[in-house]
Amino acid sequence: MCEERVTEALKALRRTDAGVETGPEAGIRALLAFRRQQRRRKLQRMAAVWGATGAMAAAVVLTALLWPARETPHKLIAIEAPAAIAAATVPAPVPPPEVKRVVPRREEPEEIVTPFFPLVESSSPFERGLLVRMTVPASAMRTVGLKVGDDHLSDSVQADVLVGQDDLARAIRFVSYRK
Amino acid sequence: MGQMSAAEQQLLRRLLKGDEEAFAALYQIRHGAICRFVLHMTGRMDLAEDVTQETFLALALYGRRYDASRGSVMAFLYGIARNLVLKRMDKERPEDTAKLLDEFAGDEDVLLDLTRRESVDEVRRAVLSLPPLYREAVVLCELGDASYEDAALALGCPVGTVRSRLNRARAMLAKKLAATSLAL
Repeated sequence: MCEERVTEALKALRRTDAGVETGPEAGIRALLAFRRQQRRRKLQRMAAVWGATGAMAAAVVLTALLWPARETPHKLIAIEAPAAIAAATVPAPVPPPEVKRVVPRREEPEEIVTPFFPLVESSSPFERGLLVRMTVPASAMRTVGLKVGDDHLSDSVQADVLVGQDDLARAIRFVSYRK
Repeated sequence: MGQMSAAEQQLLRRLLKGDEEAFAALYQIRHGAICRFVLHMTGRMDLAEDVTQETFLALALYGRRYDASRGSVMAFLYGIARNLVLKRMDKERPEDTAKLLDEFAGDEDVLLDLTRRESVDEVRRAVLSLPPLYREAVVLCELGDASYEDAALALGCPVGTVRSRLNRARAMLAKKLAATSLAL
């Protein structure tokens, strides 16, 4: 078959199908599908914005909680023995006596803790973790909904932060002492 | 053509912002060509309608990838339609061609001379029997309105490849149709 005949054959097919197109109802279906698609995309965009905002908020909270904080060092409190007791234990002649410092017993202050407040939601369940005692600014209490006076925002408070197996700070509780 | 292309680019920009009117306008202008492309590639009108809709929805999703310096919006649309058709063809085994042809024999065909119609159907069968690589070149450049440049963009190959595939396809068609006596 020669070239011209192929060209003619293809032209004939093209002519025959020239009017073939989808019906008007297909156009309406397409438009409705487009509308649904746009609505879905809008929701996805909003979810992404909210997700990013949430992540930023979580980051701010964590920064507020963890950045200025440090593990409270074990304070060694050197208490001098009262002069009267010291004088009474020193004998007059040599040899010089061993000076014993007598530390008076102090009553331990009672520790009061708040309930744990969740910090971040993790996809993995809590399996094991570490409770870390920290000093945090009192403003951190506000982030979990506790009331703090404006003039106490920069005060330091003790807090226990529960860190999960994934190194995420899962929860926090605040500590105060009653004498 | 240039004006049309600029108008279509403008419509695409509006469509990407979610403008329904722009979507409807672009659909109105180009759905026929896409529908025929799918029909000639698959021989199925139901698939042609589905894929035409999917093509325009995909344009709304991925239209930002369109680069005006590389070709027309139509070529981009052909490219999307082609990908969707190839996916469908991978999934679905081709059915009996005669059965497929009956599916889209429209009212217009009834008016045609029976002999001529049979001849056209022979051509249709011959085109459908071409390997997809060659078929798409024929469908775009011979049965559709695509220029070689547009076809190259849609098929993701150089213009020279389009030309050589077209030549090869025409040779195959000549062989297939040689045995039939066409009354066109």
